[in-house]
Amino acid sequence: MTREFTEAEFMIAQCARLLEDQKTAFIGFGMPQVAAMLAQRLQAPQLVQVFEFGAIGPIPLTPFVRGTMGGPANCYRSIAWTSMNQIFAQAQVGLIDYGVLGATQIDRYGNINSTMLGDDFTRPKKRFPGSGGANEVASYCWKTIVIMLHERRRFVPRVDFVTSPGYLDGTPGARERAGLPSDTGPWRVVTSKALFGFDLESREMKLIGVLQGLTQVQVLAEMEFKPVVAEPLEALAPPTAAELRILREEIDPSRTIVGRPAQ
Amino acid sequence: MEVLSAGLGEFRFTEPDAIRAWMRDRKRRDFIDKTLTAGEAVHRFVADGDYVSFDFSSYTRGPLGLIREIIRQRRRDLWYCAKFTLMESTLLVAAGACSRIDVGFMGLGESLNRAVEEGRVKVVEWTNGALTLRHLAGGMGVPFLPTRALLGTDTLKYSGARVVTDPFGGKPIALVPALNPDVGLIHVHQADLYGNARCFGPGVSPLETAMASKKVIISADEIIDHEEIRKDPAKTTIPYFMVDAVVPAPFGAYPGGVQGLYEADYEHFAEYTGLEREGRLAEYLDKYVYSVGSDLEMLEKRVGLGRLNGLRRRATIREGYR
Repeated sequence: MTREFTEAEFMIAQCARLLEDQKTAFIGFGMPQVAAMLAQRLQAPQLVQVFEFGAIGPIPLTPFVRGTMGGPANCYRSIAWTSMNQIFAQAQVGLIDYGVLGATQIDRYGNINSTMLGDDFTRPKKRFPGSGGANEVASYCWKTIVIMLHERRRFVPRVDFVTSPGYLDGTPGARERAGLPSDTGPWRVVTSKALFGFDLESREMKLIGVLQGLTQVQVLAEMEFKPVVAEPLEALAPPTAAELRILREEIDPSRTIVGRPAQ
Repeated sequence: MEVLSAGLGEFRFTEPDAIRAWMRDRKRRDFIDKTLTAGEAVHRFVADGDYVSFDFSSYTRGPLGLIREIIRQRRRDLWYCAKFTLMESTLLVAAGACSRIDVGFMGLGESLNRAVEEGRVKVVEWTNGALTLRHLAGGMGVPFLPTRALLGTDTLKYSGARVVTDPFGGKPIALVPALNPDVGLIHVHQADLYGNARCFGPGVSPLETAMASKKVIISADEIIDHEEIRKDPAKTTIPYFMVDAVVPAPFGAYPGGVQGLYEADYEHFAEYTGLEREGRLAEYLDKYVYSVGSDLEMLEKRVGLGRLNGLRRRATIREGYR
């Protein structure tokens, strides 16, 4: 099927639609940054982004350039410039509403792996850069949004390494028993094919929407575990003309994050 | 306090009284000129086997010139704190300078990941927040600080953190051990000769890194008069008595940028990325480190004034960075 938008554009638009105006959101590196910028240009002009190196409330300049995290364009028109200990303290005390993170691998309870593949920590089959600030974001923010490509190998029954906490083993109150702040945890998983929440009882990942034109079967075929499925399923609108124009012309004209639709 | 679980990771820890004695005996309170060249500062203050902490990012206000000097002087067996690192942890490992990394976020490119997979570098798992909190504990002179992150994860299992029962509230809480790096490397916008230093804009943990480290090397884009510090003390990020050496280093963060002064050199990062992908970091190191005697010579011969001026011209956003 040829499409007029890329997987990244759909993920970014979906994620941006979830972010509310005049709320605080801890923004991770890469795709979450672009989603937050898009939200600021549409329904959430006063979305207060915070970054792990302490910038609070920037309205980043566009075009977005990879690698400018912490630089003047990225931190433009901030409300405050603090430090890592300060900003994580603010998240830990409960001031940050959303956390937006990328992930390499995720499991049915929303546990995130960004550390390694394999079962021997000392000799991983594949090593990744590690938690960064993701563990803190997933521990402290009220609602965590995970944004990731929808590929079978990324959706596994149990992650090889729990870098950042989801609902742990899925038993009731598992996060609280571990000592994590109450009433926190993964809230949405935005993928290139679908949108997930989490079942309030079982804490299992729950399919709540599928990109228009795809079927539930097509989405589930690309997962190693079967999530709970909501009835009815929402049909997720593709990126709108306005979203695509802002992404392609204002935020990422070099298409480093959003990519280009296949010809 | 009952210890509920303990991470398996090895960690550096120094008794707070030993740190107090170090601060009493080794951190000078007299106002002396601490300026040194990068070569002299690294020669005097960085030893093989040291634990080294770097502040901020390869892209923004990172002490890349000091990292290059450490590589040039062929230090070995360093234990590196990757609380937020991209290019420089990859370079240190490629140069054989570093054998252990405390991981918050590490590396730019795949070669460092491969070094971990092949067992050429040992890693201990932490998070960016846990490592900066460990610096704060080290700098406060307390043996640990509590955090409500890490809990329930494999990150904690492979870190050196411990979970105890909070003696006040009764819930599990994670404790991270104080960290007092042997060496803290911090690049700043401005410093005076004594080491009073100013960083403008957000940062990871310049103050905590200076507070905690036994030996602190500051590199500064600009050396300012001490009187400037006295006239505007709210701008001081790091007071002089924490600092052991001040390296005058225009473009000391190159190829990264310094906010309000110059932009990062993305062409240089593209060159690095290309060589890194092809397994040719030895060539990169030869060109930018080994074949030149100093960072100044590197900037003159390998980058050039025209390109550096271009990076200055591109730093058009100045608000808040003076």
